[in-house]
Amino acid sequence: MRGVRGLLLGLSALALAGCATGPASPEALAANDPYEQANRDMLKFNGKIDKYFVIPTVGLYFILVPEGGRRGVHNFLGNLSLPTIFVNDMLQGELSRAGKSMWRLTINSTIGLGGFFDPASKIGVSGHGEDFGQTLAVWGVEEGPYLVLPFLGPSNPRDAAGLVVDAAMDPTNQIPLKQHIWWSAGREYFTLLDLRAQTYQTIQGIQRSSVDYYSSLRSLYRQLRNEQIRNGRKQGLDLPDF
Amino acid sequence: MANREHCPNRNHPMHPPSSMPRRALLLATLSAPALLMAGPAAAANVAESFVDENIHKGLDILRDKKLSITQRRDQFETLLLGLVDVRRIGLFTLGQYRRTAPPEDVEAFLNAFKNYATAAYQSYFARYTDQTLKVTGSTQRSPTDYIVQTLLIEPNSSQQPSEVDFRVRTDTGKPVLVDVAYQGIWLSLEERDQFVAFLGQNNGNVRTLIAHLSELAVNLGKPTQ
Repeated sequence: MRGVRGLLLGLSALALAGCATGPASPEALAANDPYEQANRDMLKFNGKIDKYFVIPTVGLYFILVPEGGRRGVHNFLGNLSLPTIFVNDMLQGELSRAGKSMWRLTINSTIGLGGFFDPASKIGVSGHGEDFGQTLAVWGVEEGPYLVLPFLGPSNPRDAAGLVVDAAMDPTNQIPLKQHIWWSAGREYFTLLDLRAQTYQTIQGIQRSSVDYYSSLRSLYRQLRNEQIRNGRKQGLDLPDF
Repeated sequence: MANREHCPNRNHPMHPPSSMPRRALLLATLSAPALLMAGPAAAANVAESFVDENIHKGLDILRDKKLSITQRRDQFETLLLGLVDVRRIGLFTLGQYRRTAPPEDVEAFLNAFKNYATAAYQSYFARYTDQTLKVTGSTQRSPTDYIVQTLLIEPNSSQQPSEVDFRVRTDTGKPVLVDVAYQGIWLSLEERDQFVAFLGQNNGNVRTLIAHLSELAVNLGKPTQ
């Protein structure tokens, strides 16, 4: 297992083992969240990292890098993920989406100057996401109990395992760079920066209007993952009666 | 972290997934003002028309520069309460506690929920005057239960349009909105999960939730920093 993600997942397993004390409440069990107290503690920890480390650097990122540059970074990071997305498309039998991913990789890596520009979208080859956690779900693997991972946030055993596999299949992790850890850490950091920059107002809004921020995140994460696994299809959408 | 190519906000584990879920959900709800009358046996097109026609009316109000902030807010509150079945949603969000809470507490909760929901909508709607919603189709789940699909389009933006779905029920004899989803995230489900978790941590005391909702409603009415 290579890269920063593997290290973080290992740390999260240790943290969970250390925190998993006391029986879970009936409500936590009903919510498929037997480690709720440990998860809440981890969310607080992540919040401190976010407040004291991530947000200040996001501010600097906005000041130092103009919008065009930030868009280029965003495009570049997205392009790096395309080989992994392509493989997961194939593993799920989504051949049409796999074709799109391959097209995007080809077009944006060449005409798009290594992925910094996104000419593929301009000609109608739009992007989508995919990961091995979703592939496992398509294969019938249950998500398991809700987890909040240190640094990485909301997850579950299926998605956490998916992170490891995605890291293993990522071609850039196969490049024998002497200082590979720095490449990996830098990529993760800029990915975090990019996403946090774009979700800053959203998170602020959720924090401001939530009755219980923790359970709000848990619900948002689960609903979004289910939507991603369905690839937005409405068939099989399980909604409660009102 | 999940691979999310060119869909930047959809999933980062450390951060809430999806771009602007709550705000967009609220906008979507606000963007459909007056009720249209229709029978329960009506086809899915009635639900689409209900959403489509009201979206434009709502956006016209949002863009009306002649209205003061207070006038716009008040008009939306009136429209919102006429359009959305707040009572049905409120009861749903209580989950199992709806059955165990004293009836007077449930009624007090419904009133607090109405104020909370309205305040939450009001705190966000001003940010969306430049966006438009386009109806793209619908799915009929039962004779009186529809999901109308729309796209939230931001002009002059390179980002892909966002999917916003409206759940419309007609079992009371007229179309009413009971839920809205932004990129597959349903607002009422998220509220129910929050409220049930909150009540679970507070011995099922609905009055504690009412107090918390009332406090939030007041805070949401204040200008954002």
